[in-house]
Amino acid sequence: MGKSKNTFKNTGKSTDKIAAEARAYRFNFIGRSKFVVIVSTLFIIAGIIFFFIRGLNLGIDFRGGNLMEVQFTRDVEITELRKTMEDLGYGKAILQNTTPDRYIIRTTELTDEEKTQILNGLDKDIGIIKPLIQDRDVEAGFSQTITRNALIAVAISIAGILIYVWIRFEVRFAIVAIIELMHDLLIILSFYTITFREFNTTSIAVILTILGYSLSDAIIIFDRMREELRVSRRDRFIDLANYSMNKTLVRSLITGTTSLFPIIVILIIGNETLKDFAIGLTLGIVSGSYSSIFIGPPILTAWNNRFSIYKK
Amino acid sequence: MRNKKVHITVIVIFIIIVGLSFYYIFRDSVGESIKLGLDLKGGTQIILKPVEQGTEEVTNEALDKAQMIIMDRIDKLGISEPLVTRDYNKNLIIQLPGVSDRQRAIDVIGKTAQLEFKILQSIDENGNPTLGPALMTGDKLVRAQAGYNSNGQIVVSMVFTEEGSIQFEKITTENVGKQLAIVLDGEIKSAPVIRQAISGDAVIENIDTLEEAKDIALVLQTGALPVNLEMLEVQTIGPTLGQDSLQQSILAGIIGFTLIAIFMVAMYRGLGLISIVGLLCYIIIFWGILAALQAPLTLPGIAGIVLTIGIAVDANVLIFSRIKEEILKGKGKFAAFNEGFRNALRAIIDSNITTLITAAALYRFGTGPIRGFAVTLAIGVFISMLTAIILVRAILFLAVNSRAITPGFIGVRLPKVAKEK
Repeated sequence: MGKSKNTFKNTGKSTDKIAAEARAYRFNFIGRSKFVVIVSTLFIIAGIIFFFIRGLNLGIDFRGGNLMEVQFTRDVEITELRKTMEDLGYGKAILQNTTPDRYIIRTTELTDEEKTQILNGLDKDIGIIKPLIQDRDVEAGFSQTITRNALIAVAISIAGILIYVWIRFEVRFAIVAIIELMHDLLIILSFYTITFREFNTTSIAVILTILGYSLSDAIIIFDRMREELRVSRRDRFIDLANYSMNKTLVRSLITGTTSLFPIIVILIIGNETLKDFAIGLTLGIVSGSYSSIFIGPPILTAWNNRFSIYKK
Repeated sequence: MRNKKVHITVIVIFIIIVGLSFYYIFRDSVGESIKLGLDLKGGTQIILKPVEQGTEEVTNEALDKAQMIIMDRIDKLGISEPLVTRDYNKNLIIQLPGVSDRQRAIDVIGKTAQLEFKILQSIDENGNPTLGPALMTGDKLVRAQAGYNSNGQIVVSMVFTEEGSIQFEKITTENVGKQLAIVLDGEIKSAPVIRQAISGDAVIENIDTLEEAKDIALVLQTGALPVNLEMLEVQTIGPTLGQDSLQQSILAGIIGFTLIAIFMVAMYRGLGLISIVGLLCYIIIFWGILAALQAPLTLPGIAGIVLTIGIAVDANVLIFSRIKEEILKGKGKFAAFNEGFRNALRAIIDSNITTLITAAALYRFGTGPIRGFAVTLAIGVFISMLTAIILVRAILFLAVNSRAITPGFIGVRLPKVAKEK
């Protein structure tokens, strides 16, 4: 190493202090997890209740029909557009403005003549700019394909992750990882039923993303536990788990923050499609972070207390 | 020192890769270096589902042929850079960039163009005709052309192959006096009375516009589709929507990157600075790969990139917090760096592999844009491992003996941390 000094000058006393307290931890996460588990459970139950009351606000991908995004020549009030659509015989159309002079108009399936009639009507009454910003026709049965594909992808992912975590860690970690994953998925789905936000193919893409990503926090904590299990002579798993989480907490917070930076910027400046992505990803990252702390480790601890072979 | 050489070699390799990336980025013009997907560029996407006839299953060969025929038809329409792909459910996905007038494309692409010649046997009182079996089909055509007949009506005239000519002559000889129905996709286009044996060609009548005649001629020439196709989804994105999304994503990327850089430097000082160098290389290499592959970038693809930036930063955060920890344990900086990397590596690889498992499942079972997302996610995970681990490691170990590497450089304040405890 040549002449250069290979060690830092430590201010002696303080380092000794750290070494002595090295295994102490600051936050008792598991002790406080009950509250979080209750909040999560209530949120999911609310989500399920809302699901049975009014279901998901399914987008055009699932229902089929037509969606047009129209740029008008001037700003339009929603009541004015509603009136025009009623006059044209499409009072039930779903209207949503993306900017003051831009609207998304959703209807049931339209023939070419019907579409032309609507566009001509809108052009006459308000004035529109062609070409349309977007125009989609979806066959109603199409959703079955998408849903089936998504479910297959979810099942394969879960199976793959289960097997991988099982091999790399232990079966209890693998099962807890899957429970955390289910928790995150249920939280997102509950968000969609409670807020009644439109659920479309983008939402599915987001959910699938969360599937892969939300586990990273859990894996980091598991990795730490694995390491501590190997070296630690501690008598209680709960302390080991708490210690591991305290050690990884800073990393979780920093990573969570940096991952959210660009996503939050998109939430602020992005258009509707981009926002759809950003909201789902934000939720997934937040829920993935806290489930890896407050949902997974308590279950692992309970598991260890239940089965004597793990009991320390 | 041997190790030093290794680190320098690694850095030189990265400089070469970054240089190569710049070559691809600036090869044409920066603005056009990445091919944009339909949702960012604007255009029409059509998803067609093969319809099974009775119990017969649609074979892959039939779909291959259908895909080729559709490609041929699109080429004849003169649409540039079309893309015809298949998904996991055997659906055909047709992408036509820049096409906003979709009706004609739909008419031409989806038409089965099953041409049949049948004898008209009788017509009942309601005017419903009874047809005999198909005597000949449209695959015996050499050419089909739109034009006018001597009466000024719009027609499509067809020229048969040699075999077709003989067959057609035989049919007409045997059926003089009867009506020969020319059926296109189940619709009787015309049913002229056979006055004498014909050997040359035949015409399709009852066409409204010359445009329609041209389209019929086009689909006849490219041949009949071996499967019937049903339209599942037609989507047209105007050019403005995509541009908005793209600009907003780029802006979000720049602001997000700046925030990450400030944050990382605030947290990890000099180490943060090195990780930002790694992150910059990550972005340049990613851009270079997209430019070199010319794989279309979609909106979900952008979401994938945004997410992998988080993954790339995470690798460094994991390593740095491990290094800090080792230093707080009182280890020397060389040992701390070594241990930090070693301890963090397992966790990084395990968490990245679970992400890759999902990306693989998405690629296999996803449709269109979701696949684009899976691809960017996978590429991102790979490059991030290269830049955030290998490159950052090489830079760090090259600098480890320098006097600049102090606890302050790493962002560790020993006494203060001790007090907090």
